Amino acid sequence: MAEINAEAHENTTEERGTVSVMVVDDHPIWRNAVGRDLEEAGFIVVAEADGVASAARRAAVVRPDVVLMDMAMPDGTGTEATRAVLEVSPDSRVLVLSASSERDDVLGAVKAGASGYLVKSASVHELVDAVLATARGQAVFTPGLAGLVLGEYRRMSNDVADRRPPPTLTGRETEVLRLVAKGLSAKQIAARLTLSHRTVENHVQATLRKLQLANRVELTRYVIEQGLE
Amino acid sequence: MRPSPTGPDADAPLWRAAQVFRLVTVAYAVGSQFSTVVNYTRPGLSWFFVGVLVTWSLVSAVLLSREARLRRTVTVMDQILAVALMAATRLVADHDWYSNHQTMPTTLWVANAVLSAAILGGPLTGIGSALLMSVVSAVVRDQINLDLWRDATAPVLVACGVAMGFATTTARSAHRQLEQAVRVAAATEERDRLARQVHDGVLQVLALVQRRGVELGGDAAELAELAREQETALRQLISEQDTGVDRGGENADLTALVRARAGTTATVSAPADPIMIPRDRAEELAALTTAALSNTQLHAGDGAAAYILLEDLGDEIVLSIRDDGAGIAPGRLDEAREQGRMGVSKSIVGRAEWLGGVALLDSDVGEGTEWEIRVPKGE
Repeated sequence: MAEINAEAHENTTEERGTVSVMVVDDHPIWRNAVGRDLEEAGFIVVAEADGVASAARRAAVVRPDVVLMDMAMPDGTGTEATRAVLEVSPDSRVLVLSASSERDDVLGAVKAGASGYLVKSASVHELVDAVLATARGQAVFTPGLAGLVLGEYRRMSNDVADRRPPPTLTGRETEVLRLVAKGLSAKQIAARLTLSHRTVENHVQATLRKLQLANRVELTRYVIEQGLE
Repeated sequence: MRPSPTGPDADAPLWRAAQVFRLVTVAYAVGSQFSTVVNYTRPGLSWFFVGVLVTWSLVSAVLLSREARLRRTVTVMDQILAVALMAATRLVADHDWYSNHQTMPTTLWVANAVLSAAILGGPLTGIGSALLMSVVSAVVRDQINLDLWRDATAPVLVACGVAMGFATTTARSAHRQLEQAVRVAAATEERDRLARQVHDGVLQVLALVQRRGVELGGDAAELAELAREQETALRQLISEQDTGVDRGGENADLTALVRARAGTTATVSAPADPIMIPRDRAEELAALTTAALSNTQLHAGDGAAAYILLEDLGDEIVLSIRDDGAGIAPGRLDEAREQGRMGVSKSIVGRAEWLGGVALLDSDVGEGTEWEIRVPKGE
């Protein structure tokens, strides 16, 4: 899905030089390899962390533009780390990089505020594109993530126990997400729906934003109901 | 290890049940005393013995149901008291009476001693106790030429001992098996946890080999390709282990079945929660997926990727199977049907209709082929 940001490549090298990245992963080999790839591509790797606690600590200091987040760490999950990092550095954008197919986990991290998901076996090219897209505020989707997000919206709309009206997708958003889940690139989707590339991006992004907002409202309500600080 | 769900005292329920029986027998023994005391030569002494019987019954009932440690002692005491009270019949009645009637504590009450022995030591101990009580009863009542057809004391007691003894043995082995199952479950859980860690590490390394291999090119690129295949296979295995736990029953998880059929040939996207539908419908949809995918491999061309999307619309399932291969021109679709693709198409459409749904084929040159199958969930 790296093609989702197959925009002009001319200005991007310069743009990368302004993007700071933090790599969170408990495997040092992986951190080194990814860090080197990103630096070679022109990004500034400002910090590395090997767990949830250290990620939050360092993010609070360095405020990275993009956080590359592993899903399984010794002291917690990627979802917890995403929440912790965004709490201390709300302007950072989290891109989940997962090795195994931890499906529920990925959905959790995205609801906690991660703005995209990429499998670790993605090529260096795909990774570089995804980090750049994330820095620009775009959502990085795999077909698998699109399927999860679609399923989540439908689950919420069927959840009769929920008292507030759940967030819903517009017809266009559903259409776009379904095509992403069927493996079409943003360019192909734009062509098929006769939309601009940018509009497709916006629709995809909107599906995540609404999900995250609903999750935040849900959390706040829970906190108030429980009388916690 | 987690504590055993049943606790260490597997026999407790049997002991408690036996004490309920004991209290019933006490009521019977006291009732019998009221009706026979007029025939005794020493009624006062007989009342004393019945008092001993009632007291011991209450004490032993409490001890046996609560104090696991004392059960052996109480059981031995049970045997001694039953024998002693039977023998005491001779002190309170004359030969005429006791040779023609049951002993003073009554046969029903004596059965308690047999039951205690059987629960404590199993069927053989139960039979041993039953034979002891029968012999003592026969001797006390001076009935050496025992007529088993007229006096059922011995057969009834032996039957009690055997039945309770086997019940105990069964309860204990069931308890042992349960404990073993709990241990195995705990060990499996721990092994799964370790496996996940190992898998995670292996996946990391495989991913790393791929990235470096592709960069280096040449032989290393071949290694990268091998690493990619192994990564896909391992990922598949893990996802089958995670979601493919088939609990049996009438419903099955459609996502797990479709993932298993798709294997490494397609990317499967689905909701996080399992899609539980009647098993036969799930199997049918999985078979349909296999048919569509094999068609893709035949006609889409080399390097074509396949994608499957599963959607749960509440009362309807949408299964989309798409490849990004060569595709078919709209006008040629009918032609293609006649060229033999028809077989597969027909089978997919047929299966969908059999499930009460529809299957639509969409294709264009360079656009790949896409099946959209909509079927009701069915209950």
